[in-house]
This record gives sequence, C-alpha cells and structure tokens, in this order.
Amino acid sequence: MRLKALAPLLFGLSLLAGAAIAAPASVGQPAPTFSVSDAAGKVVSLADFKGKTVVLEWVNPECPYVRKHYGSANMQATQKRATATGVVWLSVNSTHPSHGDYKQPGEMTRWNQQQGASPSATLMDSDGRVGRAYGARTTPHIYVVDAKGTLVYAGGIDDKPSANPADVKTAKNFVNAALADMQAGRPIAQAVTRAYGCSVKYADGG
Amino acid sequence: MTMKRFLVSLAAIALPSFAQGALAQAVVTTEQVRAELVAHAPQGVEAGKPLWLGLQIEHQPDWHTYWKNPGDSGLPTTLTWQLPAGVTAGEIAWPTPAKLPVGPLMNYGYKGKVLLPVPATVTSAFAGNTLEIKLSAQWLVCKDVCIPQQGDFALSVPARASTALHGAAFDAAWATVPEAVAGAKAQAELVDGAKTLRVSVSGLPAALQGQALAFFAETAGVIEPAAKVDARWDGSVWRADVPVAYQRFESPAQMNAVLVAPGAKAGVQVGFAIAGSWPAIVAPGAAPPQAALPAPPPAPGLSFGLALLFALVGGALLNLMPCVFPILSLKLLGFAGHAHSRRALLEGGIAYSAGVVLSFVALAALLLLLRAGGEQIGWGFQLQSPVFVAALAVLFTVIALNLAGLFEFGTLLPSTLATARLRHPLADSALTGVLAVAVASPCTAPFMGAALGLAFTLPAVQALSLFATLGLGMALPYLAASAWPRVAQAMPRPGVWMATFKTAMAFPMLATVVWLAWVLGQQTGNDGVVALLGVLVALAFALWAWGRIDSGRIGRAVWSTSGVVLLGAVLTWALPSWREASAATSVASLDDRWQPWSRERVAALNAEGRTVFVDFTAAWCVTCLVNKRTTLGDAAVLADFDARRVALMRADWTRRDAAISDELSRLGRHGVPVYALYKPGQAMPTLLPELLSPQLVRDALAAP
Repeated sequence: MRLKALAPLLFGLSLLAGAAIAAPASVGQPAPTFSVSDAAGKVVSLADFKGKTVVLEWVNPECPYVRKHYGSANMQATQKRATATGVVWLSVNSTHPSHGDYKQPGEMTRWNQQQGASPSATLMDSDGRVGRAYGARTTPHIYVVDAKGTLVYAGGIDDKPSANPADVKTAKNFVNAALADMQAGRPIAQAVTRAYGCSVKYADGG
Repeated sequence: MTMKRFLVSLAAIALPSFAQGALAQAVVTTEQVRAELVAHAPQGVEAGKPLWLGLQIEHQPDWHTYWKNPGDSGLPTTLTWQLPAGVTAGEIAWPTPAKLPVGPLMNYGYKGKVLLPVPATVTSAFAGNTLEIKLSAQWLVCKDVCIPQQGDFALSVPARASTALHGAAFDAAWATVPEAVAGAKAQAELVDGAKTLRVSVSGLPAALQGQALAFFAETAGVIEPAAKVDARWDGSVWRADVPVAYQRFESPAQMNAVLVAPGAKAGVQVGFAIAGSWPAIVAPGAAPPQAALPAPPPAPGLSFGLALLFALVGGALLNLMPCVFPILSLKLLGFAGHAHSRRALLEGGIAYSAGVVLSFVALAALLLLLRAGGEQIGWGFQLQSPVFVAALAVLFTVIALNLAGLFEFGTLLPSTLATARLRHPLADSALTGVLAVAVASPCTAPFMGAALGLAFTLPAVQALSLFATLGLGMALPYLAASAWPRVAQAMPRPGVWMATFKTAMAFPMLATVVWLAWVLGQQTGNDGVVALLGVLVALAFALWAWGRIDSGRIGRAVWSTSGVVLLGAVLTWALPSWREASAATSVASLDDRWQPWSRERVAALNAEGRTVFVDFTAAWCVTCLVNKRTTLGDAAVLADFDARRVALMRADWTRRDAAISDELSRLGRHGVPVYALYKPGQAMPTLLPELLSPQLVRDALAAP
C-alpha cells in the first residue's frame, strides 16, 4: 500500500523535473541538447559528441574581453590544450543579426584563421536559442559538458575580470583547471564561477 | 566593424597612455563618458574635518556604467587611490542603482550623471598646504556594446581653505545612497530545494509601505537578476520569493540587499542572515576519488545490480556488528530449541527472514515518505528519538529478565494468548526478526553506506527492493543454517546446559541496556538516564510481582496492582524528561582535539590550506564507537594528524541535525559512520571505509 501512496508523489516530482527543462541549465543537471549550423554550414548536435567532454565557448570577436583573450593567445592555447586530449571545443556566437557585432559564417571562419584559433566547430546561434538554454550572459562565457552529457562547469575563463591582456599571466585559468580535474577523475573544484565580459548580444525584447 | 566603433575602441586603448603623464588632470573625457575627480572639504583638509572624494561620471545618452553587483554582465567601477600619509580613502558609497535590461539579461547600474562618493579620513599625520590626490579608475561603459576604459586623475586641494564647489553634487549623491533604517528587520531562508530565497522585511518606513519594491542583491552570483521577484505585502511585512541563480557561484551566510520604491531616489539597505544551507556547487556525478585507499567504499554512482549485491553482503555482515549480538544470542536459543524437527527449523527460518525483510521494507517506506515530506532524516533516524531509545532499553530489560528467569512469559500472558504463541511458533520467529531489525538498523555496516546513498536517489520501487535485499542478506546466514540439516545437527543436543546458556545470555542483553542508557544520556542529559533507571526498577518490580504465582488469589491481586501503580507513577514522572533536548547540551565527548563540525569552518580551514578530518558520528552508532576506540584514539594516528596539521572535527548526529543530514547526502551517504578527509582545493572530500584501521587512516592522510 505504501508503494501506491508514493506513486502520485513521484509522478508529481517527475512533472516538476520536466518543467525545469525550460529554465537555464544548472551545473549537475543534464546539459541542454541542441542542433545548430556551424560556420561551415554543417549541422552540429550535442548528441554527436556523446562519450566525449565538450567545451562551449561563447564568443563575439568585437568584444574587448574576447579580444583580451585572443590578443594574448590565451584562448587559443586553452583550446589547443583541451583538443589535444580529445576534448571537443565548440565556439558559439549568439550575436543576433540585427546587432552591429554580428558576423557572417564566412567572417567567423576567417576570423578564426586570423587568430590562429582551432575550435572543433564554430556554432552560428543567431537566434540565441543555445545561448538562452545555457544561460550564457557574457562573452566569453565557458561551459563544460562531461561524457555523460551532464553540465559540469559554468563560468568565466579565469579569475581576473579585467580587459587588460597582461592579467592573463597571473590569472587562474578555470577551464584548464576544470579539464585537469576531470581527467584526474577528481570532482571539479570550482564548478561555477563569475563569467565576465560583454553581454551576449541577443535580440532585444528577450 | 563600423569605422566609428573602431575609433571608439581605439580611444579606449589609447586612453591610458594619454592620461598617465604629467598631464593627469581632474577630467577624463571619452566618447561615452566625461569623468571627473571631485573633492569636498568645506573646512579645509584637517584631522577630524569632513573630506569627501568622488568620481563623477556623465554618460552619453544610452550608455551606462555598473553598480557594485553589476547583474548578469558588466563590471563594477573600481577606484585605486594614491594619497599622502595621514589621508585614507574608504569604500565607494554606491548610490542606488537602476535596473538596466539588455535583451533577456538584466544589469544594475547608472545612466546620465552619477557621482560615486568616497568618504576619506584625515589624521594628524597629514601635513602640508595642499592635498595631492591621485586616482586610477577603471570602468566598463556599455550601450549595446561594451568598452572597458580607464583614466588617471589628479587633483590638488588646498589644505587651509574651503573646497565646496561640488558640495551640492555630493549632497545629491549622498541622498541617493541606500541607508539601513532603524527598526527594519529582515530575514531570509532557502526554500524549494534552495531554488528560492524567501525574504521577509518588517519595520520598513511608511513611504515604502504598500509599494512595489525592486530588490537588488548586493552580492553578485547569488540570485537570478533577470528573473521575476514574487513579492507581496502581508500587512506591514514585505515578503518576497527571490529566484536563486541557476549558475550561482556564491554561497553567502549573510547578505545585504537594497529595496527601492518606484520613483524613489534612494533605496533602503537591509541585511539578513540566510537560513538553511546552500547545496554544494558540484556535479552529483563527480564521485570522490578512491584509488588511493585499500578496499575502497563503492561510489554513489554504482550500478543497481552491484548495489543489490552490496546490500546482500552488507546485510549479512550486520550479523557480526556489535549491536546485533544480543539478538544473535536469541536466535541461537531458538536454534537449539527447534533442533528436534527439521521442518520446524526451516519454517522458523523462513518466518524469521520474512520478519526481517518486511521490517526493513516498512522502515524504508516510512523513511522515504518522511523524506518526501521534506524531513531531514537519514538511516538510523529512529534512534534519534529519546522515547524510542528508552522503549528499546525497556524491551531489552524485559527480555533479559525473562532470560534470567525472573518471570516466564507464560505466567504473564492471558492463557489464550500464551497457547496461541505456543501454537504459532512461526509468528514468534517472525517477531524475533522484527526485533533484530529494530536493533540492527542503525549500524551502517561496511558496504551499506553507498548502497543506502543510492537507495535515496532511486525510484521508490527500486529503493524498497534494495532495502528488502538488505534484510534478506541479514536473514541469510540463519536461513541457510535452518535449511541445511548438517548445521542443525552440529548444534548441541538440548539438555540442562540450555538453562545455563539462557541465563548467561541475559548479560549481553543487559549490556545493551547500559549502552542505550548512555545514548539516552547523550540525548537528554542526566535526568533522562535517571528516569530510565527508575522505570527499569519499577518494571523489574512489576514483572516480579506479576510472576508471584504462589501467593494466592488475593495476594496476587495486591502484588500485581501495586506493580501496575508503581510502574504507572514512575512512567508519568519519567516521560517528560525524554523529550528531545535542545542542541545546547553536550556533543558526543568533544575533547581539546576535536571541534564541533560546521561547513563554514571546514571551508575556512581549507582556505587556510589545512586538511580537515570529519568524523560523522552518533552516540547510538556502535560502529562509530568502535572506530573511535581502535583508530581515532590511536597514538600513531593522532601523531600523524598533528604532524600534518590536520584539523579534527566531529559532526554529531545523535539528534536530528539538518546541516549534517545535508552534508551526508552531498557525500552520497545517509547514515553514520562516515569519515571524510577534506583537502584544500578539492570540492569533494575523500571518504574512508566505515570500519577504520589506524593504517588505513594514515595511508589516506599520506595520499596526495
């Protein structure tokens, strides 16, 4: 009889869990799935990388904070270090086409080449759907999804919220630290941190 | 990029080098802002006289800079002062911010003209005719794009003359700085699984009453700035449910917030402690590392099949736990008693197993129901109730007195019931099983911890089947023995020795009563123990009185009535002292080495670079006590703790404690003992097995 008493309760709980999907992702929860075109026109889904660690990096080449990390080669180095160990790195541009910072897919590809950046793919999230699902607020804003599809890191690239490229040398790179923790089988010491930078240029009106 | 935007960026980059030279002046102008260093010294610069400094920022239309908590994006303006000896600048007194929505995001900051005032203090160490002020300021100015800018400012203020040019601007700025109001009281608690911060504020000034107040958290990274605050007035009390940030990165125990009425220039600052504990910011799948330990405990992530196996083995091991021994002796007696019939033996074994399994399932179902109702309890919860502990002590005393021969159940029970019991030995066996579970359940045997942790993350059916398996494991050795004739044949033949054995078995039962009395003492103090002892004496008298069959009809009536009256009177006196005591009474034998546990203290010690060893324990947990004696008191272990400057903490779960329950479930456990080694820089501690040995602890300490 006790089982029967529990059943409606559990059913209610599962409904709640379902409703929670609409809210932005939280660390420890399943990462929001997506299918979106990349700069080369290929459709990329999160499900393509099941069994692999995936890093999502929100990017906007016009943002001074993005430039801080590309101009100092910090972002490129972090990418290389990650992809060398089999991690998938997806740069995501959620800038809306109505915004002056918007870049065409071809421009993004060229910009990556100029910067010597080597993301596994650059996602053109022009309607901001992926960005909103993850709750991406700034450029850069970094998310890490583990092999099981769980969101395990959300936050900044490092702990020095400035636009000064010189600070990169003395800053603690949270992404390197998180990936190192994962590789060592340790829980991630700092799983959520302050993301700093320009706001993501979503369409106005939410 | 448009040409204009390019020039804007160029200006931002060029600005510092331009402003840094000897030409540093009071005003820095960019395309987006005009920033000016201002000072206010109406009575000159002198010790004890007011001195205000400030940065006044005039934004071009639509551009803004940020408040101390910038919201979803943005950065607060920072000021770095260079002042002569004797003059020190305080913190920015942030004026009340505005909400600045950007698409789906929400920022807090300033548009138009804002003065960030900074109170400065002057001591007699200051000498000179002019005060030379140097300021390096950094701000992020945004419209739909963001530009980080910085400026170097310089200003000379005459020391012996009045500087009051910006007095009006300062007055206006101070008028917008939120202040705490006398009489306002705020409190906050985490509800809805820490997804909501429930704030209530009373004693707000009349001007705010009934208004739709805007809520600004002063600490960044706690609440979701763009989410709607669900607020209402409850008479003169403002109540609000503030959504907690989905990607929260701060866990403050105390926070300030600013409440602003529509159209008001200044908000009201309220401070509150946050009741309830923040869940750890960590992915649940991230299992603690275990490779360095021998016989590692299974991770919370273990598969269901493996969990069932662990439950079975753990249940079987329960029979060896110190707290089950008296029951084991009861079972041995049953064995010897039934050895004449193989069928009776098997039936007894099955009935006993059914009793064990059903009790486990019933307890687990109760536990699940209570937890679903939001109770912060875990396995062993029944022993957190002093009344339950006292009842157990009474039960054990009755059994012991029976074994010792003070009375026979047959003389007490109405004859119909007695024959029913004789006719239904199966019911008797099943009840023995129930008794065994009641006593054994608090002893979290090795392997059981992780299985129990998993059980609470599973759907009810799976969780209950896990508990059923645990029960089966516990009954298994006895069941196997009753089914296996050779074991039964190996038992000694019944004889006179049985009476001696029976009496001898009274003593482990009485020893258990001593232990329960000690547990009760931990929970209620001396009075509770004395009350228990009083009840036990009255009980012994009543049992003895009832058992006097040779004293004739009238004599019997007198004896039994006096027994009942005495027992009733003593119980009436005793019961109030078994109420749950407040947490203020003693924590399980803390000595100099061991501090009481708190999560904040662990974090603080970790931050100092110290490792912390936490002993999650309870007075009613015998495994815990065994470990304490054999390992945690071991001289070599203690020396190792000292050598490595390990801080020792004890989390006492003898009584219910929500914070400890929370931490246990974060570790994937729901019972004690749990031994955890918190090392600096690691979010999850290393968990040690539930049965410790000195070598094991020392190895864990030595592990990197």
